[in-house]
Amino acid sequence: MRPLPWIVAALMTGMGAAQAAGDAEAGKIKASTCMGCHGIPAYINAYPTYHVPRLGGQSAEYIVSALKGYRSGERKHPTMEAQAKSLSDQDMADIAAFIIQAPAAK
Amino acid sequence: MTFDLTMKHMMLGLATGLLLVSAARASEAPVTESTRTLEEKIAACAACHGPGGISENPMYPSLAGQYRDYLEVSLKAYKSGARTDPVMSGMAAPLSDHDIKAMAAYFAAQPGKLYTPTLE
Repeated sequence: MRPLPWIVAALMTGMGAAQAAGDAEAGKIKASTCMGCHGIPAYINAYPTYHVPRLGGQSAEYIVSALKGYRSGERKHPTMEAQAKSLSDQDMADIAAFIIQAPAAK
Repeated sequence: MTFDLTMKHMMLGLATGLLLVSAARASEAPVTESTRTLEEKIAACAACHGPGGISENPMYPSLAGQYRDYLEVSLKAYKSGARTDPVMSGMAAPLSDHDIKAMAAYFAAQPGKLYTPTLE
């Protein structure tokens, strides 16, 4: 078989292994749970009692890094750990892609 | 009675002089962690979190306009070790509770680009 298809396949595999590119459309659907807290201005959880941080204006890279931190348990927060554990790398990328272009809540 | 200036006298004089000079210099406060002002501590944050807490590097979050209590909880977590990060753990370690409260209040009050996103 000619080498070109193998080269393309190898390149595409490499690209897939790198940071997953996010899809804001898919992210909007996946982020509906997140917006339950992060989409309400000045929202405070029942526990722990501090404001849910503003995400609008943060970078996609930081949002994904935070979600990974909660998923791995490196960052501690009961709700966030539960949320993040249900997310794949692609989910996280999509959610971040949505958030960085989401409009501001009134 | 004559006085002969010997090497012994000269060395004694030199030693006394050095002692007086070092005592004078020591009274000028050296810049240690305990003498860093709050402004200096805040200025250190800009290296990663950007001028005025508006980040110019996607790796580091913006702080300007973030909720004060969330910033406070984050700094306290880094300081206590509940949350770890190679850079932030070191940054938070020398901060007092007063510093943390003041720095969180400072950044929360800065004009920034953070906002609450919405689905619509």
